[in-house]
Amino acid sequence: MEKMKMMLVDDEERFLSTTQKLLSRKGYDVLTASSGTEALDLLRTHNVHVVILDVKMPGMDGIETLNAIKRNYPLVEVIMLTGHGTIDSAVEGLKSGATDYLTKPTDVQDIIEKAEEAFGKRQVLEDKIRVAQSRTIGKSAREILRETGGQK
Amino acid sequence: MERSPYANLKRVILVSMILVPLTTFILILGIGYYYFTTSLESSTIATIKRIVEDHRHMIDSFLTNRKANLEFVLDSCPFKELADSEALHHVFLNLQKESSTFVDLGLFNREGIHINYQGPYKLVGKDYAEAPWFKEVLKKGHYISDIFLGRRRMPHFIIALKREEAGKTWILRSTIDTYMFNDLVKKIRIGKTGEAYLLNADGIFQTERRSGGNLMDKDPEVMERPLSHAGIKTFLEKDSRGNEYLYATTWLTGKNWLLVVRQEKADAFRFLRAAAYIIVLVTFLGGGAIVGIAFLLTGRIVRRMERLDTEREALGSQLIRASRLAELGEMATGFAHEINNPLQVMKSEHALIDSIVSELKEKGDLPPSESLSEIEDSMAQIDLQISRCGAITQSILKFGRQSEPVVEDIALQEYIPEITAMVEKKAAVQGIALTLEVSEETPPVHGDRGQLQQVLLNLYNNAMDAITSRHGAKGGELVVGARAKEDGKVEIFVRDNGSGISPEDKKKIFSPFFTTKPVGKGTGLGLSVCYGIISKMGGIMEVDSEKGVGTTFNVILPAAKQALIH
Repeated sequence: MEKMKMMLVDDEERFLSTTQKLLSRKGYDVLTASSGTEALDLLRTHNVHVVILDVKMPGMDGIETLNAIKRNYPLVEVIMLTGHGTIDSAVEGLKSGATDYLTKPTDVQDIIEKAEEAFGKRQVLEDKIRVAQSRTIGKSAREILRETGGQK
Repeated sequence: MERSPYANLKRVILVSMILVPLTTFILILGIGYYYFTTSLESSTIATIKRIVEDHRHMIDSFLTNRKANLEFVLDSCPFKELADSEALHHVFLNLQKESSTFVDLGLFNREGIHINYQGPYKLVGKDYAEAPWFKEVLKKGHYISDIFLGRRRMPHFIIALKREEAGKTWILRSTIDTYMFNDLVKKIRIGKTGEAYLLNADGIFQTERRSGGNLMDKDPEVMERPLSHAGIKTFLEKDSRGNEYLYATTWLTGKNWLLVVRQEKADAFRFLRAAAYIIVLVTFLGGGAIVGIAFLLTGRIVRRMERLDTEREALGSQLIRASRLAELGEMATGFAHEINNPLQVMKSEHALIDSIVSELKEKGDLPPSESLSEIEDSMAQIDLQISRCGAITQSILKFGRQSEPVVEDIALQEYIPEITAMVEKKAAVQGIALTLEVSEETPPVHGDRGQLQQVLLNLYNNAMDAITSRHGAKGGELVVGARAKEDGKVEIFVRDNGSGISPEDKKKIFSPFFTTKPVGKGTGLGLSVCYGIISKMGGIMEVDSEKGVGTTFNVILPAAKQALIH
């Protein structure tokens, strides 16, 4: 079974490093990014399954980052990390395709639970894709051509 | 009790409220009195003038008639006959039939010798050549004398006529009964003190005066006499005793006598005096009424103004409090937000330490010891305190939450029972009797259901806390109700019989972070959040409480406009 790979995005460096350490100790593979752009850069080179994304960040904020992630990497699950005051942006995030949200200050245990949940969802999705793809392999080249032509 | 601005205002209102109507009132009374007295005076004077006119006419015609009687005798009887005693007696009797005022009748020759006489005295042969009347009658042909004593030493007056016939001159004279004449003049009655009398040109009484003044005395009152015979003169004058009289005088036409009619002024103008008394009475009563009403109304107006001012002050302080609360809320929100990040870091650090410690323990690097358990206890405490901080910041953020409420009309008749049902169980467990008093006429309010629910639940929870702290689990009462208030307002009330709020606490009850609960039990934000919600709905929150008796929270909200259509 594939191992979950997480990415933490927050402007608070110490939060990133500590949480990374904690999660690593629990056996998770964790990347960190201190801004939206950095997160997008990392996503280009790394296969990340779940992103924990702070809503309120300087520069590119959480919602913008979320939209960019969903646009470029639709399969990546995003969990919004929000203060209570920004709960509305959390709702907005959910509407824009975030999987879930966490309220600050949050427990590492909560992060793990939500992340596992999201990862499970992702795996279900990937399985479905694999099944669908394996069916396509069985089809003739003409059928594939017709299908793709029909899509055009 | 009275503050100076009100005292001043009161004085101004009072003075104008008294002066304006009182001036008008007195002016009207004065004008009325003036015209009334003027008309009464002129009518009194007109009356006395008419009386004097009538009276003069009567006296004049009496004298004219007596003169005419004598003329008739002269015309009808020749000298011879008059000189005859028997015949004269006959004539005299006829005259007396004509008028009983003829006392005697006498005939004189040119030289003034009394030739013939009929009457009570013995006057035949007496010489009257030097008598003033005789001289006058010779000169004028006819003469009415003033009252004089004459030979008989009795006041009397005579009418004498001269006749010339065939070079012979004789004179017929008759005495008029003074007493009868006197009565004739005197018999006039005007009011109580009205009287009439005659004066000759020298001011000698020709008739008696009822109020004193004998025949032939000099009138002690020196008064203006009309110069000619032109009409009647009226005037006011004081007599020697100081009584003021209204006089009306006129000269007789047939004789140089002045007819005087006079009446004491007080008597003549007694209606005037009565009117004056009534007017004084009315002035006092009316003035008293005006002053009384002015005092009453001024008191009422000033009290009302005082009340309005107090209300306005209260409203002003409420507004200030509301804006302060809003500022505080904003500040608190920002503060809570900034606190959240460090809290998050602390929490992570704590978790890391925790995990490292457990790992070390597992490996056996940290043998169990007292210090270790103390560290663990301390760590647990840090976790607890971080959670507490988190709870506080969350409450603050809830308080300052800027989210858009979903506004709709809420029918309280259904809504309040719904919300109340949420706490039914809790109330039952705590032995609280829950009563609903939502009037069917309560109009709907306009607001967010969730927010209003938050307010109500907060009030219920506070009430139940207060009840249990006083009664324990028995004997609590919680009444929740709603009703229409005047001016399109709706009142929701939550009344408990709990421990109550002290006056000092009452002032701070809506302030953020104010709580009477033990440390860690309450954030002190509940009521301030409620206050914020109700303010945004355009309403106000009030509290009425007595320590040891209970507390009532009133939420007053504007009724939804829709209600007006029903």
